[in-house]
Order: sequence, then C-alpha cells, then structure tokens
Amino acid sequence: MKTRKNDLVEYVILGTLGTLVVLTLVIPQLLRDRGEPQLLFLSVLFRDTDNTNWTVTRQGMEQAADELGAELRFLTLTVQGDGREQAELLRREVEGGAGALVVVPADPEALGETLAQQQSGCPVVALESPVAGAVGTAAPDNALLGRQLAQALLEDWDGGPVLLLDSASASSGVTARLEAAQETLDGAGVPNIRVSALPEGWVSERWVMAFEPSATRQAADKKEAEGQSYALYGTGSSTAITAQLERGTIQAVAAWSDYAAGYLAVRQAVQAVRERPGELEPLAFSIVRGEDIYEPENQKLLFPVTS
Amino acid sequence: MIFFRNLAAQWGKRYRKMSIQMVLSLSFTAVAAAGILLMGISLIWRVSSSNEAMVAENSQRVLAQTNLSLDSYLRRMMRIADTVYYRVIKNTDLAEGSYTEALGLLYEENRDELVSLAVFDSQGRPVSSVPLSSLKGEANPAGSEWFQAAVQNMENLHFSTPHVQNIFDNPDSPYRWVVSLSHHVELTRDGVTEGGVLLVDMGFSGIEQVCRGVTLANGGYLYLIDGDGELIYHPRQQLIYAGLLEENNRVAAGYRDGSHVEEFQGQSRQVTVKTVGYTGWKLVGVVPAASRLTSSPQLFLFGLALLFFAIFLMAFLNFRISARISDPIRRLEWSVRELESGREVEIEEGGCYEVRQLSHAVRSMVSTMRHLMDDIIQQEGRKRRSELEVLQSQINPHFLYNTLDSVIWMVEAGQQAEAIQMVTSLARFFRISLSKGKSIIPLSDELEHARNYMNIQQVRYKNRFVTEIEARPGTQELYTLKLIIQPLLENAIYHGMASAEDDGVIRVTAYREGEDLIIDVADNGLGMRPEVAESLLDEERPQARTSGSGIGVRNVHRRIRLTFGEGYGLTIFSEPDEGTLVRVRLPALTREEAGRRQQGEAL
Repeated sequence: MKTRKNDLVEYVILGTLGTLVVLTLVIPQLLRDRGEPQLLFLSVLFRDTDNTNWTVTRQGMEQAADELGAELRFLTLTVQGDGREQAELLRREVEGGAGALVVVPADPEALGETLAQQQSGCPVVALESPVAGAVGTAAPDNALLGRQLAQALLEDWDGGPVLLLDSASASSGVTARLEAAQETLDGAGVPNIRVSALPEGWVSERWVMAFEPSATRQAADKKEAEGQSYALYGTGSSTAITAQLERGTIQAVAAWSDYAAGYLAVRQAVQAVRERPGELEPLAFSIVRGEDIYEPENQKLLFPVTS
Repeated sequence: MIFFRNLAAQWGKRYRKMSIQMVLSLSFTAVAAAGILLMGISLIWRVSSSNEAMVAENSQRVLAQTNLSLDSYLRRMMRIADTVYYRVIKNTDLAEGSYTEALGLLYEENRDELVSLAVFDSQGRPVSSVPLSSLKGEANPAGSEWFQAAVQNMENLHFSTPHVQNIFDNPDSPYRWVVSLSHHVELTRDGVTEGGVLLVDMGFSGIEQVCRGVTLANGGYLYLIDGDGELIYHPRQQLIYAGLLEENNRVAAGYRDGSHVEEFQGQSRQVTVKTVGYTGWKLVGVVPAASRLTSSPQLFLFGLALLFFAIFLMAFLNFRISARISDPIRRLEWSVRELESGREVEIEEGGCYEVRQLSHAVRSMVSTMRHLMDDIIQQEGRKRRSELEVLQSQINPHFLYNTLDSVIWMVEAGQQAEAIQMVTSLARFFRISLSKGKSIIPLSDELEHARNYMNIQQVRYKNRFVTEIEARPGTQELYTLKLIIQPLLENAIYHGMASAEDDGVIRVTAYREGEDLIIDVADNGLGMRPEVAESLLDEERPQARTSGSGIGVRNVHRRIRLTFGEGYGLTIFSEPDEGTLVRVRLPALTREEAGRRQQGEAL
C-alpha cells in the first residue's frame, strides 16, 4: 500500500517535471508564431487632389508605419473635396482588402453612411473631422481652436466686419471651428459674414478668417498676388503657410503638429486591427503669430526636423 | 513564529508517516533541485553580468566609433572656420577686396555639409556670405544666440544647438535645420582691425548622417545632446518635438562618461555616455535593461527547459537509487510485519553493509526468539503436566484410604468374596489411573474406570444406588482426558446419594454432539439451588479439602480447560430435590489427535 502510494507520488512529480519540460519547449515556438505580427496594409484617403499640404502628416504616418510594421498607400481625389468620390474610394479599398483606413474626410456625413453600409469590420481612423463609425479622430479640439483663433483676431481688431471662409462646409471639423469662431465674434459684437470663398477682385473687408489649410493658403496667395490689405487668420503649419506667416501675409495661424496627427492616426488604426485601441486625445495646438515662429517650441512645431 | 512552529510540526508528522524511500527520494530531489537552481541562478547571474558588461562594452565601442566620426565631422567644420579666418579674413583688407570669392570656393568644396558661410561685422551687419546673400527683412543677426556666444567668448569656437536658419532669405529651401558654428574674428578694413563674427552653418543632415543608423545591442539607440541636455539628434526626434515621446536627456547631461543604469518611465536601462571633444556635446547610448533578459524569451524558456529537464533527470535517478537503497529495508520491514502477524517468513540478508548487518541481527534475533519460545512452550507444557499430575494426585489419597478401609472391614467381617472383588476392582481402577503415564485415554477405558470406581463404592454404600453407564454409538473410538468421570461420581455419591435408600440412580451417558464429546453424569439425589451449583465451578471460591466442597469437580473443570481451552469444561444443572446433572464437554478426539496431543504434552 505504502509502496503504491510512493510510486504514485513519484509518478506525479516526474509527470509534473516532464510536463514543465515539454511546456517550456513548446511555448517558445508559440511565442515565435505570435511574436511576429503580419505586415498590415493601410490606405490613407485625403480629401485633396494632391497631398502636398499633408507632407508632414505623411512623415508622421510613415514613422508610425515603420515602427508598427504597416505598409501605407496614399490616395487622393480627382476633384477637390468630392465626398462621393471619397466614399467610393473607401468602399473600393475596403473591398480590396485594406487592413485599415485613415481618412481625411471630405464629407464626414456621407463617409459615415458608407461606413455604416460596410460590414467588413475594417477599422477607419479620421483625421481633422470626426466620422460616425470611425475608431478615432486625430484632430485638435476644433471648437476650442475656432474660439482661440477668433480671440487672436479680436486682439487686433479695430473695426469692420470679418469674413468667415466656409470653404469646407461638408467637413464637420472645419465647420465646428468656424461656428465656434463665429460665436466668439458674435459674443464680442464683431460683425461677421460667412462666405464659401473670397470674392473675385478686391476684398473690401479688412478681416478674413480661414479654417482649413488650403483655404488659408489660397487666401494668403490672393492677398500677396493682388496686393490685398485684409488681415488674415488661418490654420495650418505647412512651409508655405509658415513663410506667409513670416512675411506677414498671415497674421496668425492655429497650428498643430501634423506629424503627431499622422503618427497617432496610423497608430490608432494599427492598434484597432491588432488589439483594442485606446481613446485618442485631442491634439494640442498653438496660435502662432509671425513674430513668434522662431521661438524654440514653435520651431519644433512648425518645422519638422528633416535633413 | 507560531505559523513556522505549526509548519514544522506538520512536517514532522508527515515525516514520521513517510517511507524511507520517499524521505530519501524527496530529500535527494530537493537538494538536487536546490543545487541545480542555485547553479542556474548563478549561471544566469554570470551570463547576465557578462552580457551587461558586453552590452556596456559594445555601447562604449559604438559610441567611441560614432564619436570619432562626429569629431572628425566637427573638426572638418572647425578647419573650414579656421581656413576662413586665417587664410581669408586675416589676409584680406575689406577696403581692397571681398571674402566672397574665397568663401564661395570653400562652400563649393563642402556644399554637402554646409548650408552657408557668412561673416558679420560687430554690429551684425553682413560683410560677406555664400551662397545666400540677402538677409530676411526682419533678420537680426546680432541678436542671435550664436552671435552673442561668439562675442562673449572670443577665444573659442561655439557650436549651437540645432535651429532653423532664419537670417537669410532662401526661396528654394526657406527653413533648414542647421547647427551654427560661430567664432569671433578680427576684420581688417583699411588697415584697421575691427571685431566681427564668422558663421558656419552646418546642415543638420551632416550630424544626422553620422548618428543615424547607429544601433546598439538589444534594440538600443543613440542620441546626441549638448552640455545642457538640449537634444541635438535623436532617432525619434520629431516624436519628441511633437510631444508624443519623452527622453531622459536632461538627466543624461549630468552623467559622466561611462555606463550607468537608470530608471526612466518605469523601465530600467543601461545608459552609456561619451563626451564629444571640444563641443561639450554628449553622445548617449541607451540599451533597455529589461530587454537584456527578456530580449529572447525563447532563449530564457529554453534555459528553463534545460533546468527542468536536469531536475527531472535528477528526480528520476534519485527515485531509482533510493528505491534500490530502501528496498532491502522495506523487505526487512515486511518480514518483521509478517513475523508479528504470526506467519513464518525467511528474512533475507540483502542490500548494503548496514542493512545486511541489520537483517542478520534481526534474523539472529528471530531465531533466538523462536528457540526461547520453544523453550517457553516446553516449560509451559511441563508446568501444566506437573500441575495436572498434582491435580490427579489430589484424588488418590481419599479414595484409596476409604477403599482400603472398606476392604479391611470386609475381611474382618469374613466377606472374602466381596473383599476379593473390591480389591480386583481397585487394581483395575489403578491400572487405568496410571495408564502408562498418559493423560488422554480411550473413552471406553475412562468409562471402565468409572465402572470400577462405582463397583467399589457400591460395596461401600451397600447398594443404596444403582449405576448406569452408557456409551452411545459414535463414541467408541473417541478419546478423553483421563480421570474426569470419577470425581464427578464421587461428588454424586457424597452429595446426591447421601440420603438415598436403595432408590438412588447415578447415570453416566457419553454421546457425541457435533465435534464435541459430551459426558453427562446425572443423579437423582438431593440436588441444590442453581446458584450453589453455579458457584461450585467458581475459581474464587475458597478451597476446602472436605467432602462436599466441590473441589474434585472444580479440579476436573480446570484440567479440562487447561488441556483443551476455555470452550470446554463442566456445566452443572441442579434443582433442589430433583437431582444434579454435570455435563462434561470435551473435543471429540480421535486416536491420531489424542496421539498428537499426548506427544505435545510429552514435549
């Protein structure tokens, strides 16, 4: 009886040790199989016809893709801000087997509807404007941005109506900026006019506000080309906008790190595919005036470190 | 404390219940496992330490190499600055010529690394610059940090941290990150010397190229800071600038050259620092300490597998060895157990020396015990026999005296024939009593003995009673303890027939009941109360050697029980005025069994 019990105890000990040996030999193989994530293919859909305004954003995206093992495909529209084309493009990319999508929505509402129709489960991360059904939006707090930009204008304002450029009415993020700015101006008793684009020829108003980079740049170009005298307040941190800011064409811009936006958008998309994504915090932004662009912190924000 | 005491007690309890094999197996395995673990830990520690040292050495080597490249790059820039100063500025009077051509040549030679070369007067006005000549409208060279540094520290060359070049108007590439080398120079204008500042803007790409692609062990990386910890180069610089990443650069600025271990954002990491000569910049190599052990979980798990396998092997060998050692002890223990339970076993003498000695000792002891037990049995037998003989001898004196007394009386009365018959019966009575010293005799002899006794007694008691002796079928060949009926008859005569007047009957009946032989001795005498009858066999009852004391009956009872065990003996049934029945229960002994018993008693 005792002998049998001894044998049993011995078998249990030897069995346990044997199992541990086998497990420790098998687990590394499992780890090896799990430890190498597959390359993920991401499509990035811009709302512009080219992505020159998104160069820094792309750099951020490429950095994240490089770190997280993803391949990026950048796609632009044939018509600027064509929401329908973008929705079609999105549908095609999803059907084409894209692992995830990063979208700068031309028409967030239409895009949201398209997303709702898709049952593929392909995660979408939005840049600039939130989209229904997206797993996150890499954008600053648009309303706060609009208010602070309006506040910058108010610091300089000495009378006259302000033209508010509603250049991307379909983009909810841009609209949110505009509406917050308008509200601030209304609150301060500043007359303002909402227009979809600057009028041809001479602009009689002395104050212009643009709420997205391409509109800002167009307004600045017009001002320089035609010798206009309006004070321009816009958004963006591209080299062209920064140069115009430095030259005084633009009085102030609301700038955020496009690099960070691109990086976070891709990271969020990859996390959405591979694991549970976290909540995306609104991007930090600064109101930068021409005379402040060489402040060390603004240098880091406006000029990406490139060779 | 109480917990440990309880634990120790619990272990002690378990230990007492464990087999020697289990104790040996577990002890050996525990010691072996502890040894292997200790060796493993020591090995891991040694490997880890040497790996750490190797990582540090590797980092230092890589940093030294990078430092060489960086130093070489910076010296090249310094040589350019020296060339500009000593060959161009010193040799040119601004009243007679310009630096532009010479600067242009130098710039062309080094255009991959240079962004611009410029000389400013003490007011910050440009004297000469290549390739860019027009200043930005709002540019203020004299207010720049590099200008101030050169003016304040005239003897030395000053290297700035990376910044965006913001003084020249460059339509092609308006904002370039540069590192500015500035140096206070003396300009000659019309034979008069005046202060100025030489600016050599190095492209950030030059530094980046030196540092980029440098990899350290275990996914480590390298970054470059100035003396205040300001980042000059970092592989993830833009992420840091965007606020998505943090680096411990300010703390690293305080480290001396060499390897250090630091905790940053909950991660332990090895940091190696190398100061770049002249500039005071520091190259910092970072190797995550955690990755040193966990960089290869496969390797770690393989090591663990080896460890477990070694313990498994040791445990297996221990179990086998301990089984081999303990097996003779276990067999010895089993043998002793068998002996305890009364079974005959052979004690083996196997195993190692001590166990063989122990087995031998136990074997000797068992043999001695057996001899002693045999002696005791023999002694007991002898003792019992002598006791029996004593008991038997208690019968004879009374009877012989009374019988001889009767014979004398008959001879005196002239009853020659009765006397002869009585003497004859007496002779036969004694012949059977002796029975050649045997204690077990055939039932027929015992009944014959009873008959002779009754013949004598009937003469003595003038036939006041009759005797009927009957042996029923099945009892003829049986044997009985001798002289057991006579005392009962004696008792029946003295107590039962004392008051009889020719109507007394004493009946002796032998019959078989299963495996037992029953001999009933019944009389129709006075009888007695059942409790009195019961007390007759009571061993505690005081002995009185008088007629009617019942001592003869008790002797018979004791003899039977001594010979055959507690299950046998007498039972007395009696009722006043009804008579008494004494039932003798004996084993039904055949001739062979009687012979064996006789032999056992003889031993």
